[in-house]
Order: sequence, then structure tokens, then C-alpha cells
Amino acid sequence: MFALPQKNFRAPTTCLGPTCTQDMDRSHGDDLEGECSRKLDQKLPGVGDPVMLSSDTSYLSSRGRMIKWFWDLAEEGYRTYHMDEYDEDKNPSGIINLGTSENKLCFDLLSRRLSQSDMQWVEPSLLQYPDWRGHLFLREEVAKFLTFYCKSPVPLRPENVVVLNGGASLFSALATVLCEVGEAFLIPTPYYGAITQHVCLYGNVRLAYVYLDSEVTGLDTRPFQLTVEKLETALREAYSEGVRVKGLILINPQNPLGDVYSTEELQEYLVFAKRHKLHVIVDEVYMLSVFEESVGYHSVLSLERLPDPQRTHVMWATSKDFGMSGLRFATLYTENKDVATAVASLCRYHGLSGLVQYQMAQLLRDRDWINQVYLPENHARLKAAHTYVSEELRALGIPFLSRGAGFFIWVDLRKYLPKGTFEEEMLLWRRFLDNKVLLSFGKAFECKEPGWFRFVFSDQAHRLRLGMQRVRQVLTGKSQVAEDPHPSQTQKPSDQCR
Amino acid sequence: MSRRSDTLPVPSGQTRSQVLRDQSIYTQLLEVMWHLQQTMREHFVQLMSRQGLLQERRHIQAIREQEALLSRLLCQMINLLQSGATSGLEPQPLSSEDSRGDVRYGQGTQLAGQPDPVPQLSDCEATFVTRDLSNRGTDISALYWSSFQDYNAYQKDKYHKDKNPLGFINLGTSENKLCIDLMAERLQESDMNCVEEALLQYPDWRGQPFLREEVARFLTYYCRAPAPLDPENVVVLNGCCSVFSALAMVLCDPGEAFLVPTPFYGGFAFSSRLYAKVELIPVHLESKITAINTYPFQLTVDKLEEALFEARLKGKDIRGLVLTNPQNPLGDIYSPDSLMKYLEFAKRHDLHVIIDEIYMLSVFDESITFHSVLSMKSLPDRNRTHVVWGTSKDFGISGFRFGALYTHNKEVASVVSAFGYLHSISGITQHKLCQLLRNTEWIDKVYLPTNRFRLREAHKYVTAKLKALEIPFHNRSSGLYVWINLKKYLDPCTFEEEQLLYRRFLDHKLLLSCGKAYMCKEPGWFCLIFADELPRLKLAMRRFCDVLEEQKQDLIVKQLEDAMRE
Repeated sequence: MFALPQKNFRAPTTCLGPTCTQDMDRSHGDDLEGECSRKLDQKLPGVGDPVMLSSDTSYLSSRGRMIKWFWDLAEEGYRTYHMDEYDEDKNPSGIINLGTSENKLCFDLLSRRLSQSDMQWVEPSLLQYPDWRGHLFLREEVAKFLTFYCKSPVPLRPENVVVLNGGASLFSALATVLCEVGEAFLIPTPYYGAITQHVCLYGNVRLAYVYLDSEVTGLDTRPFQLTVEKLETALREAYSEGVRVKGLILINPQNPLGDVYSTEELQEYLVFAKRHKLHVIVDEVYMLSVFEESVGYHSVLSLERLPDPQRTHVMWATSKDFGMSGLRFATLYTENKDVATAVASLCRYHGLSGLVQYQMAQLLRDRDWINQVYLPENHARLKAAHTYVSEELRALGIPFLSRGAGFFIWVDLRKYLPKGTFEEEMLLWRRFLDNKVLLSFGKAFECKEPGWFRFVFSDQAHRLRLGMQRVRQVLTGKSQVAEDPHPSQTQKPSDQCR
Repeated sequence: MSRRSDTLPVPSGQTRSQVLRDQSIYTQLLEVMWHLQQTMREHFVQLMSRQGLLQERRHIQAIREQEALLSRLLCQMINLLQSGATSGLEPQPLSSEDSRGDVRYGQGTQLAGQPDPVPQLSDCEATFVTRDLSNRGTDISALYWSSFQDYNAYQKDKYHKDKNPLGFINLGTSENKLCIDLMAERLQESDMNCVEEALLQYPDWRGQPFLREEVARFLTYYCRAPAPLDPENVVVLNGCCSVFSALAMVLCDPGEAFLVPTPFYGGFAFSSRLYAKVELIPVHLESKITAINTYPFQLTVDKLEEALFEARLKGKDIRGLVLTNPQNPLGDIYSPDSLMKYLEFAKRHDLHVIIDEIYMLSVFDESITFHSVLSMKSLPDRNRTHVVWGTSKDFGISGFRFGALYTHNKEVASVVSAFGYLHSISGITQHKLCQLLRNTEWIDKVYLPTNRFRLREAHKYVTAKLKALEIPFHNRSSGLYVWINLKKYLDPCTFEEEQLLYRRFLDHKLLLSCGKAYMCKEPGWFCLIFADELPRLKLAMRRFCDVLEEQKQDLIVKQLEDAMRE
């Protein structure tokens, strides 16, 4: 009965928003139609004929055609993986997915917990129209949970919690209620690229990039370090190009860098935002996936005093920390009543089943299981998997970044790109795929430098071993990329990042 | 930085500082108005509470009317100011931004000439206090607040026979609470609880293949499709509103519109405006029986043609027609003949048709047969016909958040699934839904007969009461509601009076829906949901009778006074 699930995020790298080209990034205040015509002029390489957009045979609106165009683009690359997914028994030569950021290490623990009898509760109120913010019992549990795990100095309040069906929905709702059409959020790159679609699809909100470098310069202490200076520069540039910036998105622990911001850094970013009256959305979806004990993680909710509490909005979900991306549960915490109410106003469209809400409350309440069973085991397994992959990389003499948080390693394959272009990056990505291992390439994270890849290591050992073996084959078999790329090969693959 | 920002594009002929200066004047004015509004409200609240028990109810009524009048004036001023204060902030007022106005004034403009005092009041309230939101964020909050404030009040103060006997009873939200015992039992069976790895991982955003297969089978069977329906044509999202919202996004551009025969369920109006900025143009149906209207609120192709013509004359771009069958709130069921005519009308004008069949299994009169559009041998325009169904009404599980789209148009199905990740359903829930839909034996032998029987009984109880009160009503066959005519309790028969009567029900802790919320053209209609358990229903009807009795007394006094004055 269970056909192969499609476990991947499959929205395009290029979206209706700014990722597509620099020009798109700079335009502002456009509606979709405006973008559409612009796209027609651009003729992106190898994505079919964009003239199709104006096709009279389509049943869609021009907005619908735009969405379809990008969606199909994503589907095209994604299909490759799903038509040939690895299965130990049924398809041993299938593709291994080290591209999607999912934690597949603790299903045994989770399934045991979710099968316990307290999870099977059914009562009338769970089956009827809910409070759209989320059932009160769940919001209470979320507030308690976040108070404890974020080490909040004061108890967090259930009325500041809004529950939705996943982080994507939350980004979409926040973008819609905080920005007008065409306005933007600042975001340091490389970043989890799917946010582009989340804020764009309904909200038509763009991202303005704060480009970070791998090179350690000036006062930086580490590669891709975010500084207030860089934020200021990016904001100034956005303004000078007429882009109205409404907020800043921070991901902490960072995806794909695995970086964790120190309290001082966090404080500086928040003060910067306050200075410019920017909202700050802090995505802490990996907060319990810090597996290296020496790394001190600090939630923004742990700060004694927020510089601008009314403009600081925190998001968390169970997708990553509890390895349940298919469960579709995310939560917003904000002291701003208006923002909470406005997001809740959209929750009719982003609600989750009452029964699942009940299960989530049970799960979050079970502190004993989380602290004594789940977290220690999860961290140990993450650490082991991380050790395995990083040792493999070291053996290959490949530099990488990873600071002990998240499910991924940010790998520097620049030495395999003779010319150091994104075309070569794409070709290398294709070579990996041809050798049946799916990775995410840096462009999908809007990384400025070609040649970076994200390796997800939170998978079962047998798959991980096979995946790394295939990676090694590609990198050692030939370290040079073929010179004359066939035009059809420059096709954009799907956004494999998540 | 600030010098930099001076280079921001501003509306023609104005410098940015000028804009800012003007804004601050508007803002100051707004501030003053808002304080005034607050003061006024407080004053009225005091007035009412002080006099509440001492004075006659009639005086309270008078106070309320004055409040409504003043509120309306204030609201108009605030709205004007608000538009002035924000006009300079928009860098480029393009089409999608223009439609912002539709959100705030949408319903008002659609029912031009009809006063709309009370919802507008809450509109402005929300509009003004939200300074951290975008304009559209403010609009969304305001629209939500104005549409759902009473529902929220009910959520906070629900009736419970022991714990809260004075709480609200809700006969205003279309929910089936009659079979929750059966559902709860079914959902606790062992096949429902399954935790598989695939269910906890990223899904197929169209819905898990196993669920789409089951939905296709289910619809083939219950809609009596002539050929098996294709799972590839199914997209599953978290509720019919989400399906509608996604459809509006991909079928229309901002500012374009759908035709809808009214009275019509207001939730979809909300969906189309909120994200998609798509307008609903009403095809007003009339209660009076005439030569062309052989039964009340009859939908005819002539009326559709006329509405389309008028809308196009006004420059509206109509992209489709939305039909609900069985109809909500009328409970009417379209015959295959009329259905065919509507579809042909749509084909003639290249219109999409979205058919919401969410009440298809809630036809409780056994003498009536429902014909799904999917049962037709051939559809006039397959590629423009999109069917929506969900479990909320037919299975009474609105808390499950499940809605399905069935469309022969692969292009539409594929692009709607782009919205899958914003409207996704938990894998665990998808499993439960699949188990529920697959068990046709339980559905046919246990659930449906019981559900129909209970609906029929509740309907019988409510309509008997209505008959005793000599209240005309509509619906004898399907759905969870009766559409009732309370015109005789309104003098004059206006939407203002309708609103006041609605408030009076609320004062007696009874939540109903008024006709205005269904975009009905004639004041005085209400929708009463009867699919509730008998003890609650009995109490609700008692409250209902009390209100009407009170209203009748007031009317008599008023008429007497009028007579004496003359």
C-alpha cells in the first residue's frame, strides 16, 4: 500500500523571486506579471522554451503559468532521483540521497514513542474546528517546552505561540503579514534556499542577500562569518537599488554551515536590526541538533533582554530536531500580539489535524523520554555519522566546514573545478548524480563561490557508506571536469536542499 | 543611511520628505480619531451596563442603533485617513497592490448601497492598532477579525452542560456534531495507528500516493463516475479552503474574479481574497417566486449571463464560476439538467468551473438523488471543470484538515501541487484518512445510514419549531443547515436591523450566521446549523425563541409608538 514516498523538497532553485538572476534581485515592487514579461526576455538556458509562458493553450492565469514554469523546472531534476531511489533490496544500484536534510537516524525511537497508547487519544474537540492558533493545550506545551530548551529567563506564554503545518507555511505567513509585495528580507548566504519560494509563492516577497566569503579576512575569526558591517553594507546596497527591506532572517544553528551564533553575535545582529527598525525572524529549527557538547548553543529566547522584542519572531519545528519532516508541525513565538494575530488569521490555510496536535503535545511534554532517551541517543548517532563522513573527507584531502550542529557538512570541492564556475559546479553535481549519489550544490544556497556542496550525513550507516563510496569514485576517478559541457547538461536541477 | 533612503522612488511630483510630513499629519489625525472611537465605545459600554437591567430593552436597542451610526461615521473617516496615511508608502501601486482595496472594501462594494456598520468598526480597530504589520497584513488581520470575532468569542466561552451552562451555543458554524461518537470509535481502531518511516519524512507534495489512490477510488464509487478516476488527477491539501486558495492563485491573476450565485458560503470569499486577491462577483438570486423564478433562489443560465454581462461591462475580468452542490446555505441540489446548462454556459464563455461538493454525502432525504459532476458521461469542458471535496462536513471531522481537488486538467493539478508544501497534511493524518476512506463497508453500513438518520431527526426537530413559529425556511433535503427567513422580525427590513437581530442572538449566547455573511441580497435571512446533539439543540432553540419573542415585543411597542405619533 505504501508506494515510494517522495521525501524531497522539490521547489526550484530559481523561483519567482530573486534567486533567479541578479537583475530579478534588484527589481522591486513588481507584481508577478511584471516579472513574467521580464523572464520572457531573459531566456534562461536549457529550461524549455519560456515562450511557453505566453501560450494560448494554457488554462492558467499568467500568475499560474509562472508558478507552473518554475515548478516543472524543479520537477524535471527531482524526477531523476525519485524514479531511481535506492533500496537495499529492491534497488541496490539506485540513487543515494545525501542531499535532503532529513534525520533518518532515530526512526526506531520515534516509532516506538509514537505508537504508545497515550498517542492514540481521540476526543470530539480534536475532530472539530480548532482555535486557529493551535489548540490551547498544545500552545501551553510549546511554551513550556521552549522555556525549558531555549533556557528562557522568564516563562514563555502560550498566547505568544501560533502553531502551523510546517516551517514553510510559517515563512509564507510571516512574509505576507510583515511585507508588502516586492519588499524584501535580508538573509546571509549561503542559506537554506527553499526560503526563497516560501516567502515568494503567496507573499511575493524577495530576499536581499548578505554575501559571506569563505576567506577569513579583517576581524573575522572563521569562514563565512556574519558581521554587522556586512549587514550594513547589504542593507545600504538594497536601499540604493530601491529595494525596501523589512526584516532580517537568521538561521541558528545555520543551514548549511552548521554554525552557531554566540550570544554576543546574536546581540549585535539584533541591535543592528533594531537600529534600522527591521523585523528579525530567527529560525531555530536545528536547536536540539547540536551534537557536539563543546558547542554552546544559545537560543535568541535565552537572551536576558531582547533589543526589540516586538520585532523579534522565533520559529521552531519538529521536522529536524525530532526527525519528523512528514509530520508538518511548526511554531511561531513572538511577543508581538499583532503579528501573532495576523499569522493566526492565515492559519485557516495552514492548520494541522487536531489528533496530530494532541500527539505533539504528548511528545513535547514527555521530558523524561526526550532528555534520557531521545536526545542522548540522537546526538550520539549524529556524532558517529558525522565522524564517519568527516573522516572520509579528510582521507580524500577535502576541506570542509562543520561546527557540530545540524545534519550536514559544508564541503569545499573548489579544487575540482578548474575554472571555478557555477557551470562546472553543476556538471560535478551531475557527475555525482550519474554515479547515483545526490548532493546539494552551493548555488542552491546562493553561495557566492562556486564549488561548495552540502553533504547530509544523518542517514543510516549502510546508505552513508555506499554514498561516500560513490562520492569517492567520482572525485578520485577523475578530478578534472570534462571541458565542453553539452548545453542540455547545464539544465538546472531541482533544489535538493532542505 | 537616511540620506540614502531619500533616493527611494516616491509618487510622482512629491519628495519623500513631503510624503513623510503628510503621513505624519494623517497619522496624528488617525491617533486622535482612534482615541475618540475608544472613548465612544467605552461610553456606550458604560451606558449599556448601567442601564442594562433597569431600563427597558428598547432603550438599549436605541443606544445600540446610535452606536452603530456613530461607529459607521467614525469608520468612514478612519478608512479615509488610513488610505491617505498609507498611500505614500507604496513604492509602486501595481495591479496586485490595487486589489488591496478590494480586501478592505470588498464586501461593501459588492453590496453597494447597503450599510455595513458593525464589521467595519472592528475593521478599523484592527487596522489602526497594528503598526508592525504590512498593509496587507493589517487587512488580513482586520478581515479575519471582522469575520471571526464572534466565532472566537464562542471558542473562549463554549457551552458545556455542567461546566459552562451559560456559554455560547454555536448554530452558526457548519459542523456536523451528530456522529462524533461513531467517528471517535472508528478512529481508535487499530488500523488507524500506523507509524511508518515514510509517513514521518517529506511527502509527495500532491499527497501521499496511497491516499490519492484511495481518494480516486472513493470518488469513483460515491460520485458514480462512469470510468475509474485517476489518482494522478487528485491533489490533497489541508482543507478545502486551501484548495480553493491555490486554485484562485493559479487560475486568476490579482484583481480578476469568479462568479458565484448568492447566497453563498462566505468562507470561500475569504479564501479568494486573503492570499490570491481574487474577487467574487455575486449572481444574486431571489427568494420571490415569479415567472422566471419557479422556486426560491433558483439559479438560471439567464441570471448567469446577465451577471457576466454586467461584470464585464464594469471591466471585471471573469475567469470562472464557483458552484456549491449540494448548495450551502440553501440545501438545494442541482439536477443533472441544470448542472449541464451551467457547465455549458461556462464553456460558452471559456470560464473555469469550480464545483464544491463537500456536502455530497450529507443528503438526508432518501427520495432525493445527488448527482455529482463527476458522474456525468461527458463534461462540456473537462479541462476547465475542477471538483473539490473534503471530509469536514460529510464525516464531521473539520478538525482533520483535509481537502481534495479532482481535475482532469493535468496542468492545473500539477501547478496546484506547487502549493503542497504550504498546505500539507501530516503523514500520520494521511494514513488515517486513507484507512477511513477505504473502509466502504463501514461507511455504507454503519456511518452513512446513522448519519442520515440523525441529520433527518435533527432537521425534523428544528423545522417543527420553525413551523410552530411560522418562520419560512428553505432546505428539506441536504446539508447541515436550514436557511430561514426572519424578515417579519425586522422593521424596517434592512441589513442594519439584521445585524442588530444577529447581535441580539449573540447577547443570548446563541451564534447564528446572518444572510449578509452569505452575500445574500435580501436582508432578513439567517442560516441555522442543526447538526448538533439534541440537548444542545433544544437549548439553542429555546434561546432562539426567547430572542424572537423579545424582538416581537419590541416591534409591537415600536409600531404602537409610530401609530401614536401619527
